[in-house]
Amino acid sequence: MGNPNRSRSIWSRLGTTANFVVLGFLSLIALYPFWYVLVSSFSSSRAITAGEVSLWPVEFNAAAYFRLFDDGQLIVAMGNTILVTLVGTLLNMALTTLAAYPLSRRRLMGRNLLLLFIIFTMLFIAGVIPNFILVKSLGLMDTYWSLWLPALISTYNMFVMKTFMEGLPEEIEESAAIDGAGDWRILAQIILPLCKPIMAALSLFYAVGWWNSYFNVLLYITKSTQQTLTLKLYQMILQVNQSLLNNSGSEGVESVMLTPEGIKAAAIVIAVTPILIVYPFLQKHFVKGVLIGSVKG
Amino acid sequence: MKERRPGSGAAIARPSSARTNINTPRASFRSRLKRDRHLYLMLVPVIVFYLLFKYAPMVGEIIAFKDYRLGDGVFGSKWVGLKHFESLFGSLDFWRVLRNTLVLNVYGLVFGFPIPIILALLLNEVRIEWYKRTVQNLLYLPHFISWVVLGGIFIAILSPSTGIVNAILERVFGIEPIYFMASSAWWPVAYTLSGIWREAGWGTILYLAAMASIDPQLYEAAKIDGANKLRQIWHITLPGIRSTVAILLVLRMGQMMDVGLEQTLILQNQSVLDVADVISTYVYRVGLQNMNYSYSTALGLFQSAVGLILVIGVNRLTRSFGERGLW
Repeated sequence: MGNPNRSRSIWSRLGTTANFVVLGFLSLIALYPFWYVLVSSFSSSRAITAGEVSLWPVEFNAAAYFRLFDDGQLIVAMGNTILVTLVGTLLNMALTTLAAYPLSRRRLMGRNLLLLFIIFTMLFIAGVIPNFILVKSLGLMDTYWSLWLPALISTYNMFVMKTFMEGLPEEIEESAAIDGAGDWRILAQIILPLCKPIMAALSLFYAVGWWNSYFNVLLYITKSTQQTLTLKLYQMILQVNQSLLNNSGSEGVESVMLTPEGIKAAAIVIAVTPILIVYPFLQKHFVKGVLIGSVKG
Repeated sequence: MKERRPGSGAAIARPSSARTNINTPRASFRSRLKRDRHLYLMLVPVIVFYLLFKYAPMVGEIIAFKDYRLGDGVFGSKWVGLKHFESLFGSLDFWRVLRNTLVLNVYGLVFGFPIPIILALLLNEVRIEWYKRTVQNLLYLPHFISWVVLGGIFIAILSPSTGIVNAILERVFGIEPIYFMASSAWWPVAYTLSGIWREAGWGTILYLAAMASIDPQLYEAAKIDGANKLRQIWHITLPGIRSTVAILLVLRMGQMMDVGLEQTLILQNQSVLDVADVISTYVYRVGLQNMNYSYSTALGLFQSAVGLILVIGVNRLTRSFGERGLW
């Protein structure tokens, strides 16, 4: 495909170069905001407030990080986020598998009825308030079960796994059944090892979801010692936002007293770093997950 | 979900008649139940989950027709008929949040929908594999970042006093600082851009997959006929992804009543509520912060009902295009 050799070759080469440059530029735009926050977090409050920070840290220092870690709250919040993410993802995977495997067996009686029962919950979604009342009346407020239980299964992810399992060759499983293996053993020893790629993709989807979510924490977790990283960040950003509004004339002074931009930036960096570290390794799994999902439509 | 059509990727169609069952193919009701008892056992927690956390809240929607009080519970509270719906439809707030929900969605559709297609077309022309992959990875990245973080960054770079955007505007163009996030004119723009920033790259995946499945011989033939790159894109690539575009467009239209709650909540503030308040944030504020449970449930129910109608309508539409429906 890439053999420019005719008279058009100059134009086609020019087009290729332009395409190259445009794409590079766009990815830099997508990336720059992260870079900006990173250099802000290492700059002095004065330099940020004066608008001097753009490409490199100005008056380099790590004071914002020291302040955040001295405070201790952020470390607690980080621990909470890790706990919520790990347990949440494990529960998700267990329940998603328990749903996907039986439903992927075509011989299962009542399979279509069960599928209908599940699909309907994708079409008609109850609002925030009834969910809130339910969680409250189950006595789950201020426990992480209020986050985990209502989100045990993402129906979409479950269907992705079911589709994948339906695509596995049936012969292996049948020979195992002839050898007398029960459904649990077939699932654990034959199906799951074959499902590694999809399990990887789905765990990642779930884990990223847990790491990033904040609305449910905002609803259900009121004790500050139980709050997660994203909720702490939400409160910081809200504070800055409101303080800017209350005195839009000289907003700089007030907001510095509340949450200096540098501290906010450092908190953002801390929240993003784990994802940035794992991202390069996991990226291909994500894409695979999306493509398997799209087969189902 | 429909059984998949032949040739639809990972899931290989297998005629059901060829499925020789583990036991006898035509077993009786009882023996099939007994044979698969472990499968049903696996489904027990699943069914309990769906009943308790999906269907019970649907039943809870009845408080839209009641005066819900915490002490009385969902079932003990007094029935009031359509009172909440009447006051809802009679209120200015309702029309404001409905309009904002639709307007922000239309912006997202008009500006946000074509961009992944254009990006995918550009990416598809890159022949240097490592460059393509690097650009893809960078463009996908924002999709994995929490809205709290993205919102925080967005607010920071657009800040009138400390943000880089205003610093550039001031130094290069001599423009007075603009408070983008507090201006009713600029807020929807910033909102739409933030959505594009997060999802445009990720949105290319399905288009790229569709483009990869186009027969390379078509391009070869076009080249021999003397078609240049643009004509190849117009006559081969675009028709090749047509059905993907159609499906995604229709799906997107089915979501017209939804605005990302986490995105809106982090980006909005008091001074732009006239354009930034959408159904979900309004339900949260009036329902949970001001404890107007029944009134806001009525609004939530309206949203869910319209959403249901949209999805069903959209599915009809997809099928009438001759495409595979959602179910």
